[in-house]
Order: sequence, then C-alpha cells, then structure tokens
Amino acid sequence: MGGAARPWLTGLIVPVLLGVAWEAGVRFGLIPGRLMPPPSALWHSAVAMTHAGELQTHVAATLWRVLTGFGIGAATGTVLGTLTGASERARLLLDPTIQGVRAIPSLAWVPLFILWLGIFETSKLALVALGVFFPVYLGVLSSIQDVDRKLVEVGRVFGLTSFGIVRRITMPAIMPVWIAALRSGLGLGFMFVIAAELMGASEGLGFLLLDGQQMGRADSILVAMVTFALLGKLADGMIVGLSRPLLRWQDTVRARL
Amino acid sequence: MTLLTIEHLNKTYADGTEALRDVSVRAADGEILAILGGSGCGKTTLLRLVAGLDEASGGVISVGGERMTGTHRTISAVFQEPRLLPWLNVEQNIGFGGQHLSAEERSGRTAALLDRVGLAGYGKRWPKDLSGGQQQRVAIARALIGHPGILLLDEPFSALDPFTRGSLHELLLALWQEMKPTVLMVTHDVDEAVFLADRIVVMQPRPGRVHETITMNLPRPRDRISPVFDTVKRRIMHAIDRSLGEHGRIGLRQAAGELSPWW
Repeated sequence: MGGAARPWLTGLIVPVLLGVAWEAGVRFGLIPGRLMPPPSALWHSAVAMTHAGELQTHVAATLWRVLTGFGIGAATGTVLGTLTGASERARLLLDPTIQGVRAIPSLAWVPLFILWLGIFETSKLALVALGVFFPVYLGVLSSIQDVDRKLVEVGRVFGLTSFGIVRRITMPAIMPVWIAALRSGLGLGFMFVIAAELMGASEGLGFLLLDGQQMGRADSILVAMVTFALLGKLADGMIVGLSRPLLRWQDTVRARL
Repeated sequence: MTLLTIEHLNKTYADGTEALRDVSVRAADGEILAILGGSGCGKTTLLRLVAGLDEASGGVISVGGERMTGTHRTISAVFQEPRLLPWLNVEQNIGFGGQHLSAEERSGRTAALLDRVGLAGYGKRWPKDLSGGQQQRVAIARALIGHPGILLLDEPFSALDPFTRGSLHELLLALWQEMKPTVLMVTHDVDEAVFLADRIVVMQPRPGRVHETITMNLPRPRDRISPVFDTVKRRIMHAIDRSLGEHGRIGLRQAAGELSPWW
C-alpha cells in the first residue's frame, strides 16, 4: 500500500479534503468568501505578501522571538531542573517558590513585564522564555528523580564520581523526557509569542493577526495562522529529527513504529 | 592480595530491621565462596556492604588487609538483573566496567571478552536487542574487563531458564579459571552453589547470621548428575533445613547421608 510506503501522505488526506470542500463551498456560494477566503485566495495573498517582502519580515521577527525566548527558557529550565532534581537541599530551597510562581497564569505577567521591560523586544522574550521554562523545568526535575537507582549503583560499583554519574548515567537516562519537555516547551513558546505580539508589536505573525482583524482582512489572519502551523510543525520536526540519533537505544512502542 | 575478610559485620536499617548480626566470613585468594540461604537471611545485604553500596552498622570489611570504605576499584559485581545501560551498545557497556583503563586497553579487552563470552559480532547491538542470557553475558564481561580482584555475584542467574543458567555456569567457571578473581556469590540455588563453589556459607534468617560453613571436596569439572553431587547437595539441603528452624522446614524426610535421593 502507498500509505505504508509514504506514511506522511496519510496525514495529508484530511487537510486536502477540507481544502477542496472549502474551495468548492466558496465557489458555489455556500460559504461567504469575504470572511472565509478559500485556499486559492489564501495562496494569492501569501504570494503577494511574499513578493512585497512582508511575510518574510513577519516570519523572521516571530521566529527570532520564539527561538531566543525558547533558548533562554529551555536553558534556565534545564539548569534549575537539574539542580533541584539532583540536590535535595536545592529542591527544598527552590522548588516551592518555583511551583508557586508556576501557579500564576503566565499571561498575568504581561502588564508587569511591559512595566518593567518596556513594550519592545525584551518583554516579549521574557514572556516566551517564561512559557518555555515551566514544562522544561518540571520535565527535568521529575525525570531526574525517576532515574533507576539500580543503574546509578552500576555507576558507583564501577567507580564513577558523582559528576561522572550525572554525566554518564543521569543525563542519558533523562534524555527522552528532556526532549519531550523541550517539544512541549516549544509549543508553549509559539503560544506565548502570539500573546506577546498581540500586546503590541509592529511586526511578527501576531501583529499580522491583529492587523488583519483591524483591517477586516480575513486572508491575512488565515495566512498568519497557516504560517504558524507550518513553522510550529517544522520546529517540532527539527527537535524530533535532531534527537532521533540520541534515542535510538529506546525500547518503546514508538521506537518500533 | 585479594583476600576478603569480613569481621563481626552488623547491619540494622533505619527502620530498625536487623538484617545482619555478627557475620564473619573469609574468602581466600581466588576462592569461590557461595552464600546460600532463603529470603530474608541477609545475603544480598551482605553483598551490598562488600560492594560499598551500603554502609555497615558495625564490623570491618577488608580487602588484602586494607580496610574498606565505600566502593573499591578491585571489587566488581554482576547483579540479579543485567543492569546494562540501555543507551550504550554492547561494546560500550562492557567498556563501562573498565573506567580506569586507557582507551586502547579498554577496546582491546572488550573485543577479547566479547569473543570470550560468545558474543563476537554483537558489539554494536543495543541491550534491548539481546536475550536475557546474552545480556547477562555482557554483564559478566563488564564485571571482568577491569580484572577485578573480587567479583561479587548477586544471584545473577536466577532469572534465566535452566539451560541458559547451566551454560552461564560453565562460562563463569572458565573465566574464573583464567583470571582467578576471588568470587563472593549469593544464591538461593543449591545446585548452583554446589556446582560452582569451593566453600558454601549457609546463612540463617531474621536476623541474618552464618549458620554453617561447608567445604566442597568435589574436584572440578563437576558433574551435576553424578551420585556424589547429589550426596553433597543433600548435605547442603539438610544444613539449610536446620538453619531455618521449626517454622521454616523445607520438606526433608530422610536423614542426611542416606543414598536414595528424595528429589
């Protein structure tokens, strides 16, 4: 079967069918094209925006914010998660505070970030980083605590130092959870970048959304949304692709698929 | 050099459970000493103390006259489960046991051991792709790559089928004859103890103590189905039966020394 040879084609069946139905609906006057521009109109808008250089600018701005914020949030989440996971003292000292802060809905920080860091880039990066931080922190913390004691003992019997155990046992052991945490962190990063861009920006896909609403241009809104979907899928696919060689040893159902 | 001396060892856990009481055992250089007993007699606890994974509440463990604290380079172990690191391939897992070796020495010994344990050509495979017996072979190679003076075995064959177990006994004996480490082996399998050990220490439970030490006068290679093997086994079974006291009888009907086998 073709589905077996190119499994990703299976995933395209539903979007293509929906697109065709949508296009036909508009052509036959069943769906108002002004509010729900069909795929062909979206394609034309996207091409026009690309020719004008507009779409690239927005994509670049958003990507820069997501990736920088993701980098900051993932790095702090990993470092603090490792610290609290590995040291009981650090956990007792820091974890209650971090969990307390986590209970505040992240968007509640928006006014304060703007007040503290201004309306420009810094506050946006801070919001994205905050969104990425928590899933990564929680993932690393819990996975370190779940590392198999028996494997740690193997490291001890064969003469590893505490640092050696972290490097050669703990780190590879938590790798699968860490990568899953990075993926969910990245997903939240994309969510928070929209929030950041909606709260005031002159460029970025979030700005494009807001601009489309104010100008009554449903096509810009939909182009921005589709671009978000593509970027998110692409970035996630990159994490999956880059991490695959690191996880080849796993004996899981997923690994056998 | 690798004489292992355990003197007046006590272990009481934080919850008050007394696991070992005044255990004294000596293993001569290159000897295979089996610690035999049912569950709850503290045999695994004893092994963990010698490995340096737990701390004794009292008593002394010394290796070659040197008092031990914590883990020691000359002591290596094979556990009940293979405990291979799943993210390292077979070769890397074996090499893991030789932390103190140079990279060159490590890869040379790894190749030799792979061959020796019958896994030549398996070096690049992942642990998940091996059978239980193969994984335990890798664990044995990992334990031996550093040429340990003392090899600790914590019921390493108990999870395997009888045929795999038998072939691993042979493998272990062959490797022991080449390298001559002192072996301290914990087991609840009388057959295994009689087949492998020079001496058998029968432990008694709650709290774990030494009940009796029996020297095997069976020449190697030993034959599992020979009458003399059976006789020795019976003697050990009776020692265990006595060690368990009134409430732990294991169903022996004949006195030790009578010839017709009860099994």
